[in-house]
Amino acid sequence: MKCFERRAMLGLAASITIASVGLLPDLAAAQDYPTKPVTMLVGYGAGGQTDLVARGAARVLAEQLGQPVNVVNKPGAGGAVAARELTQAAPDGYTILFHSNSVVNSAPFIMDQVNFTPDDFDYAGMITAYQTGLVAHVDAPFDDLKGFIAWAKENPNFAYAALSPEARMYMDTLAEANGLEPNAVPVQSGGEMITALLGKQVIAAFSGGIHYRYPDELKTISATTTFRHPSAPDVASIEEDGYPIGMDTRTTLFLPKGTPREVLERISHALSAAADDADFKKVTDGANIPIMYMNLDEARAEIEATYAKHKGILTDGS
Amino acid sequence: MKRANAISGIILCVFSLVMLAFVIPGQISTGPSGMMSPRLVPQMTMIGIFGLSLLLVLGSLRGGEDDHPPPFSRKELLALLRISAVFAVAIALYEIFGALIGASSLVIFGLLALGERRPLVILTLTVVLLTGLWALFYKVLGTAIL
Amino acid sequence: MEYLILAIGDVFGGTTLLWVAVGVTLGYVLGAIPGLGKAIGVAVSIPLTFYLEPVSALGLLIGIAKGSAAGSAVSAILLNTPGEPSSAPTAFDGYPLARQGKAQKALKMGLFASVIGDFVSTITLILLAAPLARYALLIGPVELCAILVFSLVFIGGLSGNSLTKGLIAACFGIFFATVGLETETFVPRLTFGYLELEDGISLVPMAIGMLAVAEMIVQAGNLDTLDRETAELRDSSDPRDRRVTREEWRRCAPVIARGTFIGAAIGILPGLGASVGSFLSYGETRRVSATPEKYGTGMIEGVAAAESADNAVVPSSLIPLFALGIPGSVIAAILIAAFILHGLTPGPLMFQQQPRMVAGLYVSMLCASAILLVIGLLGQRLFSQIVHVPLRLVIPGVLLFCCVGSYMETGSIFSIFIMLGFALIGFVARKLDFSFVTFLIGFVIGPKLELSFRQSLQLLKHDASNLLGHPIALVFLFAALVFVVMSGRSSVTRRVQMPPTTQQH
Repeated sequence: MKCFERRAMLGLAASITIASVGLLPDLAAAQDYPTKPVTMLVGYGAGGQTDLVARGAARVLAEQLGQPVNVVNKPGAGGAVAARELTQAAPDGYTILFHSNSVVNSAPFIMDQVNFTPDDFDYAGMITAYQTGLVAHVDAPFDDLKGFIAWAKENPNFAYAALSPEARMYMDTLAEANGLEPNAVPVQSGGEMITALLGKQVIAAFSGGIHYRYPDELKTISATTTFRHPSAPDVASIEEDGYPIGMDTRTTLFLPKGTPREVLERISHALSAAADDADFKKVTDGANIPIMYMNLDEARAEIEATYAKHKGILTDGS
Repeated sequence: MKRANAISGIILCVFSLVMLAFVIPGQISTGPSGMMSPRLVPQMTMIGIFGLSLLLVLGSLRGGEDDHPPPFSRKELLALLRISAVFAVAIALYEIFGALIGASSLVIFGLLALGERRPLVILTLTVVLLTGLWALFYKVLGTAIL
Repeated sequence: MEYLILAIGDVFGGTTLLWVAVGVTLGYVLGAIPGLGKAIGVAVSIPLTFYLEPVSALGLLIGIAKGSAAGSAVSAILLNTPGEPSSAPTAFDGYPLARQGKAQKALKMGLFASVIGDFVSTITLILLAAPLARYALLIGPVELCAILVFSLVFIGGLSGNSLTKGLIAACFGIFFATVGLETETFVPRLTFGYLELEDGISLVPMAIGMLAVAEMIVQAGNLDTLDRETAELRDSSDPRDRRVTREEWRRCAPVIARGTFIGAAIGILPGLGASVGSFLSYGETRRVSATPEKYGTGMIEGVAAAESADNAVVPSSLIPLFALGIPGSVIAAILIAAFILHGLTPGPLMFQQQPRMVAGLYVSMLCASAILLVIGLLGQRLFSQIVHVPLRLVIPGVLLFCCVGSYMETGSIFSIFIMLGFALIGFVARKLDFSFVTFLIGFVIGPKLELSFRQSLQLLKHDASNLLGHPIALVFLFAALVFVVMSGRSSVTRRVQMPPTTQQH
């Protein structure tokens, strides 16, 4: 309740004191946050999965914070361009980045020019998870990872679609452990990956989760996450099948290093409202993206844990 | 045109050799084995450019009158210099003072560089263009472009 | 069927029609302003789609796509500054026509060709979405690779006066397209440490620099001549120069039909895009013409060929989306987001679950074609006046729009530097007669060719004999071979002339 009163007052006061805000001491500015519109960077182009969730979340954040939240797409290098821009922004909570945490916990081990660490940012929470997994056409003669491996042993030189270095790492690990001979077909986008699967150009592919849009034609063989996918609860995760290489990625709210704790808490609290918001749920359900909210402390713990884990997987694996 | 062909051909020959010998090996790693080398396509294009520009040079050496005027007229080069200067100033002002000053300076100095001297015209056009852009994006479309 | 009637009621009864009209108008105006274009229209409309009803939102987006494809012909014809590579062939003959005082004729022909291509392609979408999309799935990477080889060979004929220079330009196009992260090996190429280059040189700022800014510099250099011409230029008093005559309709009808077919076919194939369509259509029209040497001097057929194909691509690129849920273009990708936003799953299920909405969408797409005709006819009167404005007043504004257009693509000043870099290259290329058209074709097709070749290598297991299992690919490779042999012969007997990039009298 108190929060609401303050917001109403601020709304009135903001227009009068807007000129003097810059002169206020930092602490007071943090307590009053936000007094002006917030810019939310998104490291992918408009129209993609992450952009969609970001815009849904921005709407809830704007309602909760009582200030507009403007989404600005800054695509480039899988989000590294946007993340780098965030590191140069003032740590006042008015520039935030909504992006997959892979830019911190995977990209540094894959791209030479990216070397972020969890300590380069502050985190206000995580909201959704990507349901990454190994997928195949429903006509494929196997239903789980064991079946796939048995089939693959019989069919050397089978083709699978690989969208990312992670995809190739998964298959290489499976291939090494079981003596498989896969042919990696590079694809440039999720749409291209789906086309290759539907057209049966490839027998399997690693998906970032968009395959759940095609429930009648595609099936999940294995979840390459540490958890089972909420959209396919019967499919075992790759870790359950004995390969400790599940890598979780989640949409995360990044802030510049040194953002006051009050501001982080304010945003984190606002983000938690998204987890229960009906409109936001409609968007994520439509895209088959599960909501898995984490507050700022859980987010920090998650990113540090996955950073260490993915480092082990991605640098030893290749 | 023949002289221009010869000169541009020689420049392109040297350029492609430099790319092949230094830049491509320096900027592109060989990539994992079993896949097409990432260097292959850039190298192929540079080899193509080398061969073709050699043809260009040889072709221009053959006799015959050069009936074309020189490709770059003085006026066009001057225009290139002027517009480059306008952009340089506008970008510098953008970096220092922000988008509004940067954009207006682009229009104002652009007009001046092209020979427009009437202050009223310059002022009106600048205001109209910037207000138009602002209205289009911020009012009609409701999107922040900066 | 009953859904169709319901849908007509929905569209005409509600605000949907209004939003379709807004979309078409916005797209047309953005397309007509040099430097701005579809990319911007789409980017700014995304937030709007959040607040609209699904059909209205989709109508708006489709309106923008259709409007900008037609509008980009305006700047191409009037100022020789095509907003997108796909309108570059429109400028070949449209700009000479405008300088002859026949701007209105060229604009009208461009508009009519656009609307016809668009309308027929929309009908195709409505009738044939499902069966065609299934068929398009047969086109895998191996087939795509063969089709790309065929297209490249075919469009190679557009290389300008000097084949050698045209090929050099094409090599440069492919070369610049290799910048960035390579898809198979994930090795960065020629990025010189710039993160911004990881995703490659983006098409929009490159094309704006190469096509619009470079042209503006050239025109700035010939300001006196051009302004003197402008002063003398008035719309011809002959009314036949302001409209499309019956005779021209007769000549253009087969051209438009062919352009529509080519555009619709290219649109269905994943990842080819509008520029391939309009270049192929222009190239084919010139090839079969009795007077190919006249192209580039103001042949109305050239405008019709390019524009009909350019616009026919838009609806047919939605076929994979409607039938399978696969985005075939940028617009389609945004549409998917809009679908999902409103709790719908794009794809075949849509027809069963939301028949009324799908019907509404179809009706609004057809309405968009009609609105495009009206907006275009109104707009071309207005826009064609720009040819009477002294260029020194036009150029600074165009440069400003070019900067905005480039900046919007990535939201970074880096794009403006890309634009300026390619403006310089474009300027030098123009003056030395290196075809920027083959450059663009190399840039657009090159990376797709490389990727599909890499994919084919893996799919064929590095064994050429496996190609026998891909009859479609074999047909296209054979056709490409035949074409090379044929054009090799004919080039001995006939020298093909190409348009000069800027008129200089």
